[in-house]
Amino acid sequence: MTNAMDMMLNDLEALLVLKLADDKLFLGHIQSDWTGLGPILEEDIASSSMAQDDLSHALVLYEYLGSRFSIDPDVLAYERLPSQYLCCDLVTVPDDFDWAKALIRRWFFAHYAAPVLDQLALFNDSDLVERCRRLRAEESLHISYLNDWMQRLSSGSKEAIVRLQNAIDFMSDDARMLFELPGMILNVDRPSFDGREELFNEWSSSTHEILSTTNLKTNITLPTTTVKGGRNGVHADHFIAQLTEMNEVRCKDPGAAW
Amino acid sequence: MVNQSDILKSINAALCEITDPELPCSIVDLGLVEDVRIHKGHTAIITLLPTFSGCPALDMITNDVTKRIEDLPQIKSCRVDWIFNPAWTTDRISEAGRASLKAHGVTVAKHEDQLENQVPLTTSVIACPFCKSNQTRLDSPFGPTRCRMIYYCEACQNSFEHMKRLDV
Repeated sequence: MTNAMDMMLNDLEALLVLKLADDKLFLGHIQSDWTGLGPILEEDIASSSMAQDDLSHALVLYEYLGSRFSIDPDVLAYERLPSQYLCCDLVTVPDDFDWAKALIRRWFFAHYAAPVLDQLALFNDSDLVERCRRLRAEESLHISYLNDWMQRLSSGSKEAIVRLQNAIDFMSDDARMLFELPGMILNVDRPSFDGREELFNEWSSSTHEILSTTNLKTNITLPTTTVKGGRNGVHADHFIAQLTEMNEVRCKDPGAAW
Repeated sequence: MVNQSDILKSINAALCEITDPELPCSIVDLGLVEDVRIHKGHTAIITLLPTFSGCPALDMITNDVTKRIEDLPQIKSCRVDWIFNPAWTTDRISEAGRASLKAHGVTVAKHEDQLENQVPLTTSVIACPFCKSNQTRLDSPFGPTRCRMIYYCEACQNSFEHMKRLDV
């Protein structure tokens, strides 16, 4: 088992899949906190549905890794050391039940996940490609829905605009770290392998396409390669809090099934 | 010796009787069944397509299919595989399935309708299943299940559901 985990964590392609799976697992988890609390009924359902999608996308990707490296997907989701999770802090930072922060987090993330899935769908592995194409189509719905909120709110009241801008400022440092890559991928001697700059450029252009129609501002740059964060297993305290909460049932009753 | 095509026929007939847990439609009419095979004479391998990756009914459908097929006298065991290629789309829903859904207030896009990756917020391309009016609008792109959206008809003031059609 440990060997299988080590093999996976030393496989460059697997790491690219794993970081997206981990992001989606934690985003789906933290986003589920909003179920029952959405500002309007439709948003409550939408928010919960997107959380459901994110958790299932994580599962689809863990199942792919699990079948490739012979690891139970539940073990991948729940039983790694904290330093073996590659999610970035954006998906675990508490939003303090400020709906503007929750919206901005999801909006930043959806615009990131779509081009990542596009990249993974170019791999020479039909199983991975088929999975990612399916997830990509579902991600498009998130983007379109979240863009719509951004446009509606940014053309709304002054309070809405101030709150969105505050949320953007609050989430920006963590959003930037979406583009951090595990050190071993950065160090690999294949210049185009990481796709980091392409991803960042695509994310910038698709988010700015919406922002340019509003008065909202962002100032997010590609992180330098010396900064180490979640993608290298270096997590903030709120990551541990989320992981502990997520693992609670698993720890109390290992192997429990519905 | 039992003829293999007879076994396949009885499997298909059994599958037609399995209703989707969340829609008034059999899994065959919904287009979930991609392939049925017999392995070593008495093991059925049923290949299904998920509507959405996050559909919580997948396990239930797996159980329903396994139980129903294993009840067939010619079959000893049944395995259900879910695959993503080909992708399920609403185009796979049969005419009978469409009619049954519509009778329950759920509309399905016609093949030539625009795709809904970009959700139209104000257009009224979908006729109301109750009064046939085109004065409808999207109320929410997320509905009671992952594969449905909520529309509202201004003419008869009813809400109805519409199956999402994605470009996969």
